[in-house]
Amino acid sequence: MTPEHERLAAEYVVGLLDDDEQRNAERLAGSDPSFQEAIAQWQARLAELDATATPVAPGDQLWSRIESDLDGIPAPLRDEHPVSFAIPSPRASFAVLWRSLPFWRIVGMAGAFASLLLAVGVGLLATREAREPVLIAVLLTEQNRPAAVVNAFANGSAELIPLDAIPVPPGRALEIWTLWDRARGPVSIGLIDRARTVPLNVSNLPRTGPNQLFEITLEPATGSPTGRPTGPVLMKGTTSTAL
Amino acid sequence: MLGVAMRLLRRRALAEEAVHDTFVQVWQNAASFDPARGEGLTWLYAILRNRALNILRGETRTDLVNDFEPMGLEASGEDAEALVVRLSDASALRRCLERLEPVRRKAILLAYVEGLSHGELAGRLGVPLGTMKSWIRRSLAALRECMR
Repeated sequence: MTPEHERLAAEYVVGLLDDDEQRNAERLAGSDPSFQEAIAQWQARLAELDATATPVAPGDQLWSRIESDLDGIPAPLRDEHPVSFAIPSPRASFAVLWRSLPFWRIVGMAGAFASLLLAVGVGLLATREAREPVLIAVLLTEQNRPAAVVNAFANGSAELIPLDAIPVPPGRALEIWTLWDRARGPVSIGLIDRARTVPLNVSNLPRTGPNQLFEITLEPATGSPTGRPTGPVLMKGTTSTAL
Repeated sequence: MLGVAMRLLRRRALAEEAVHDTFVQVWQNAASFDPARGEGLTWLYAILRNRALNILRGETRTDLVNDFEPMGLEASGEDAEALVVRLSDASALRRCLERLEPVRRKAILLAYVEGLSHGELAGRLGVPLGTMKSWIRRSLAALRECMR
C-alpha cells in the first residue's frame, strides 16, 4: 500500500475525491484487495460520526415507494451456486450449506436488515420522543381567551400553534417574542403574516426554561423597526413543564 | 439513515431519494456484501453516503447553494465541535479528533458530515486550496496513526 493509495482510500471514504480520482479509487477497490481493506478500515474508523446525526423519521410515502420498487426487482441471489438437492444425508447437505457462499450472504444480509430495522425503529422512537413537548405555554388574549400554544421540545426547538384566527390588518404582521432575560429584553423569534403553525427561531437563544414569557404583538409587515415590540400585545403566556 | 442523508443533502426530498436508492441498491447488490468484512450497518451507511455524495456532487449542487444560503449554511458549520461532543467519551475517534488542531478537525468533520469539497472547505475556512489539501492529507494520516 503506497502512501498515495492510503490517501486515496481515506479521502474516498470521507468523500473528498474529484471525478477522476473517484473513478481511480473505484477501479482500485474492484481490483486491489489491500485497497479494499483500507477502505473498510476507514469506514469503520469514521462510522461513529454517522451515529451523531439527529434521527429523522421517514414518511410513509418513502416506505411505500421503496416497497413497491423492490417488488419490481427480482431477488438477485437465486441461481449463482445453486445448492444441490440430490444430497441424501442431512449432515452432507448441512455441510454444503455451510460452504455455500449464497447461504452466508443471505445470513449476512438478514443481519444487516435486522440492524437496519433496529436503527430505523430507534430513530422513530427518538423522533417521537423529541416530538413530546417538555414545556408548554398557553398564550391568552387580553380577554383571557387561549389563542395559541407554544411547545418547546427536548431537542431545543420550539413551535407556535395558533388556536384562533387572528385578524391581521393589511401591511401588518404578527411578531412572536420571548423574554428569557429581563436585562436583555424581549427577543424576536418569528414573524408571520397570518396565524399559522410555525417553528420558532430559538436556536440562538439559551434553552427555553419554565416560566419564560412568550408574546405576540402586531407589527409592521417587515417586523418591528426597533427590534423591540412596538405594537399592541395580542396575547401572552409563560411556559410550564409538561407532565 | 435519513438523518445522515439530511446532513449531507440538506433537503428532505433529496435525502429520501438517497435512502430509497440505497435500499434498492442493497437489494440488487446483495451479492457484493461480504459478511467477513465489516459490519452490515457500516456497509449500509457506506452505500448511503456514496449515493448521497453522488447526488450532492451531481446535478443539484448549484440549486442547493441557492436554496439554503439564507437558512444558515454558515451557521451549520458551528456544529462541528458539538458533533465531537456527541461521540462517546471512550471513543478512540473522539480522542484522536481532539488531538487535531481545531480548525483542521473542523475541516475533516465538515467534509465527512456535510460533504464539503476541498474547494468549499478552503472557502469556508478561509485558507488557500493547496493548504486545505495538505491539512486534510496530514490530518487523515494523523488520525490513522492515532487510531491504530
